[in-house]
Amino acid sequence: MAVSGLARLATSAPAAIYPVVGKDGLAAVEDLSLHPAVSLQPTPRHASVLLVSGEIRRGDHPALRRLHDQLPHPRATLWWRTTPAPGFPQAENVEGDVARAVELVWRQLMTGERRSEDNLLPDEPPAAWRGKGDHGQGGEGMMGGKPYGRPMAMTDEDQRDGLALDAYTACFGPFLSVLPPGLLLELTLQGDVVQSAKVLRAPFAQAVADEPLRRVARLLRPLGLAGAAERFQRTAAAQTGDLKILDRALRWSGALHAIPPGLGEIAGEDIRASLRRWWEQAQGIASPASLGDGRLVDLLPGLEWSEAILVANSFEYDRLLRLCPPDREDDGDQEDCS
Amino acid sequence: MVDLAGILISSIAALATGLALQGFGLGGLSSEPQKTPYLGGSDPKVHAWQRYHVRYYSMTLLFIAFEMEMMFMYPWAVVFLEEGVKAMVEMGMFLAILSIGILYGWREGIFRWQ
Repeated sequence: MAVSGLARLATSAPAAIYPVVGKDGLAAVEDLSLHPAVSLQPTPRHASVLLVSGEIRRGDHPALRRLHDQLPHPRATLWWRTTPAPGFPQAENVEGDVARAVELVWRQLMTGERRSEDNLLPDEPPAAWRGKGDHGQGGEGMMGGKPYGRPMAMTDEDQRDGLALDAYTACFGPFLSVLPPGLLLELTLQGDVVQSAKVLRAPFAQAVADEPLRRVARLLRPLGLAGAAERFQRTAAAQTGDLKILDRALRWSGALHAIPPGLGEIAGEDIRASLRRWWEQAQGIASPASLGDGRLVDLLPGLEWSEAILVANSFEYDRLLRLCPPDREDDGDQEDCS
Repeated sequence: MVDLAGILISSIAALATGLALQGFGLGGLSSEPQKTPYLGGSDPKVHAWQRYHVRYYSMTLLFIAFEMEMMFMYPWAVVFLEEGVKAMVEMGMFLAILSIGILYGWREGIFRWQ
């Protein structure tokens, strides 16, 4: 009784989606996020529907499988604007009205009409650890062994004040919601400071997603201005709207002052100047500029995590692709990341 | 007594609910991929447990030094007239100990505005 009541409540809630954005899929997902019947989630843990939008590379399939398994039950996968890749047996293709398709799948999942999808990866720890070590935790001594399946981070020189503390190296992406879709970065972090960065895979090209208004919205989101970002997104999706009101919203939000001056500067233009230029482009005051190129990985070391995320979101997609040459040959099968 | 019994009963009820939920299989459902930290699809190779510098610690030290001082000085001021010199000496000792923390912070550059 109580459970069926909860299921009814859940059915009436917006469908919780985790979007995986592929090639040319970003604008469509951004427009879908404005639909009242769906709610885009920043992590798979909060979602029930995995929505793959646009074609993704073969090398990203292991990452997609892991994300699929990170969705809690009940879960379902929908492929939109692309065909399901081999290795995703229960996936479904969506044609036409995606919001309705997502809503239907969500309702079926919540009422139990649709069976939850099975795991794609084996339910095994990354390394055998049970029963090993003094307390059965897999470790040896203070730092050795593989406690709970993974080795501990080891100390390294700090860039700020020379304290030798732990350096954590991990791959971020290719579908991390705060990074441009497809971008796979190997970052070494000490606390929240980026020590070194490597691009393992470039982001996906987004042919239709690069209007100035959308770019402004994408930069406002990591600044914590989700409400303002949504207003810009709505105007971009509708292609009409009062730009004066948006101008006031941008000024009053303090976004221009919140970005540290000089952050992410390439060829004499920092993020603050980019934001201002995009907004002027959206208003028809400025024309697109062709700016010199550098490398994204040269901008990131020494930045704090929040600044690094801002820098990664501060370029036009065609320019970002030029800034992200992979640091080594991509054989489509990253051994150390996926 | 009634209060204590209330606390005891609600603690037992909470514990029983927790154990019952675990018994229904609502705990321990996550698979190994669900237990790994979310990195956008990548698999972390290193344990997330790590030591990093808590950089606000010097500000915390300063805050605690001055806050403790005030916290004890208000009640002390009330009894100071009754106790006289004894209270004065005791507060002097207390402030001396606290000022060691402040001096340490000074050496670490807390008071340098950046």
